[in-house]
Amino acid sequence: MALRELSSLEKYLGQKKANKYSTQGDKKVPVLQNNNGPPLVGLVTIACHLAKEAKRPELLGDTAESRAVVQQWLEYRVTKLDSCTKEDIKTVLKDLNLYLQDKVYLAGNQFTLADVFVYYGIHPVIVDLAIQDREQYVNVTRWFDHIQRYPGVRHHLPPVAVLRNRIYTSRHH
Amino acid sequence: MSWNSLNKHWEELSFPSFTAGATEEEQQAQSKKALKKQQKEAEKAAKKAEKQAKMASEQQSAEEDDFAKDRYGVSAMVQSQQKLDRELVRVQDLTPEKADQLIWLRARVHTSRAKGKQCFLVLRQQQFNVQALVAVGDRASKQMVKFAANITKESIVDVEAIVRKVEQKIESCSQQDVELHVERIFVISQAEPRLPLQLEDAVRPDGEGEEEGRATVNQDTRLDNRVIDLRTTTSQAVFRLQSGVCQLFRDTLTKKGFVEIQTPKIISAASEGGANVFTVSYFKTSAFLAQSPQLYKQMCICADFDKVFCVGPVFRAEDSNTHRHLTEFVGLDIEMAFNYHYHEVIDSITDTMVQIFKGLRDNFQTEIQTVNKQFPSEPFKFLEPTLRLEYTEAVAMLREAGVEMGDEDDLSTPNEKLLGRLVKEKYDTDFYVLDKYPLAVRPFYTMPDPSNPKYSNSYDMFMRGEEILSGAQRVHDAQLLTERAIHHQIDLEKIKAYIDSFRYGAPPHGGGGIGLERVCMLYLGLHNVRQTSMFPRDPKRLTP
Repeated sequence: MALRELSSLEKYLGQKKANKYSTQGDKKVPVLQNNNGPPLVGLVTIACHLAKEAKRPELLGDTAESRAVVQQWLEYRVTKLDSCTKEDIKTVLKDLNLYLQDKVYLAGNQFTLADVFVYYGIHPVIVDLAIQDREQYVNVTRWFDHIQRYPGVRHHLPPVAVLRNRIYTSRHH
Repeated sequence: MSWNSLNKHWEELSFPSFTAGATEEEQQAQSKKALKKQQKEAEKAAKKAEKQAKMASEQQSAEEDDFAKDRYGVSAMVQSQQKLDRELVRVQDLTPEKADQLIWLRARVHTSRAKGKQCFLVLRQQQFNVQALVAVGDRASKQMVKFAANITKESIVDVEAIVRKVEQKIESCSQQDVELHVERIFVISQAEPRLPLQLEDAVRPDGEGEEEGRATVNQDTRLDNRVIDLRTTTSQAVFRLQSGVCQLFRDTLTKKGFVEIQTPKIISAASEGGANVFTVSYFKTSAFLAQSPQLYKQMCICADFDKVFCVGPVFRAEDSNTHRHLTEFVGLDIEMAFNYHYHEVIDSITDTMVQIFKGLRDNFQTEIQTVNKQFPSEPFKFLEPTLRLEYTEAVAMLREAGVEMGDEDDLSTPNEKLLGRLVKEKYDTDFYVLDKYPLAVRPFYTMPDPSNPKYSNSYDMFMRGEEILSGAQRVHDAQLLTERAIHHQIDLEKIKAYIDSFRYGAPPHGGGGIGLERVCMLYLGLHNVRQTSMFPRDPKRLTP
């Protein structure tokens, strides 16, 4: 899964040649053997490296604050989201919905790696979510639909249909 | 009684005799015990005597003061002893127009509450209730007020009272502008003091119950004590509306020239397939309870009745414990011959349904509002002419919403419900028809589509996203019918009589059937079909 994400990221960044990744441990943490130094271990580390290599530092945030927020979300993705149980999912969606109430993107006011990787991570959750629940977490759905339509992001994942209008009223149960 | 006088009394008591064998000390101990016992008994006797004297004096004063003795009490059981020429007024007719009139009425005691020298009663008759007052004065005595306050809830009483206008509206009663001042009150039928459920709890909305920590009554308790549960204003409203549905069904179809027929319920072969049918012992053999009047409706068409309908029980031995399945329900079935196209049948059925909806909307608003008080819901919306979508369109709408399904797949219940929401959002209607179902998912007697063998001339109708009617053009050709039966692997011997009815000239025809309880449930926006079935039957319930 992580390898597919990295390959999609490469495509998005317009990288000409695909890197060769190996994995380590039973959690299959990706490893990138670097010519210039020690190997890079971990999805977040490699992703940040790729962004810098592609001369797209804005994907990591353009101010000190937004850079910190991007890193925080990337950490969140790898630590909380990936090892999420069914009970936790509701909390995650609720928190995310509250956070996205007044934001278009997760960090700063622009598209960053935080959006990319949280989107990849939360995709299977959204696919399984009933339409009524998607309407309940309306901000998450709105952000999700925005990111999945972003040119070049959604390589390895099927699109999730999002309806234009609400079909469940507030009284529905 | 004072301690001194008690002592004196004790001294006057005689001591019991002792047996010769006891020692001096034992004797002494025994006598002390006996003394104590006698002392206690004497105390008791004294207290009792005092109490009796007090009661006697009270009673005397009571009897002395009760001038209203003849104006209240428990009547002898009505065994038709006499023919009283007395008019009883209905609670719903108690309006300011009757102010200052002296009237008699018979109602149930909904509540009775004493407050000092007054007793407030709420008298109830079906959906209507009115406040009544028994006050100590020149017409009512203290004892009469006490009697009124002690009448058990649900008792049936005869009341003579003067109707009085009130300045402030009585919000808690249906008759808000008047109050009764009671002259005479008699209990005709007394209710036992402990009721299996309280009526106020039974009409309390679930949300309110949770918020205020008050009791509500769960469904099983209601169904176990159905007689009392049916007395609530909500139940009265639901079943009056249901009666209205039946009435409107009959009237609309009769106006369209339909004839009402009665079909047998004990049959020799399962009509819809063998799985869900009840077997009954029939003398030396066995028979089945009809799953639908399908076969007989069609035979009537072949017998030249042209347009028929029937209202009767339907028995389905489906072990489904859901909110919308019953093992016995009332089926309202229609069958009619048509001229050239089965859409004539669809139009007739949808027009009937629309007439029913209009009739309910125009004549049963009180009942709808009463039900909504306990079970809030959106009002039922429909379009004229009725919306008709094709199956392929529906599949496209579902796919657009992210559902994956094959062209010839049947609609699962969750997909039906989702489709209902999509249709509501797009067309703003709670009632629509889905036409041209795939042939593979319909029964063997469904006429295939002439231009596409994968589809059929069949249709379903939905209310609030749930199916209420399944219908189709029927195969009226004996040969084609035989082919379809063989294709569905049905034993031809079992349906020989059915196939034979089409061998001697049969007109093209179609129809459909609805479930009365389900239609009522969905019209009112309720969530369980047991709420609209008076004495429901399901796999777990056979009584009351």
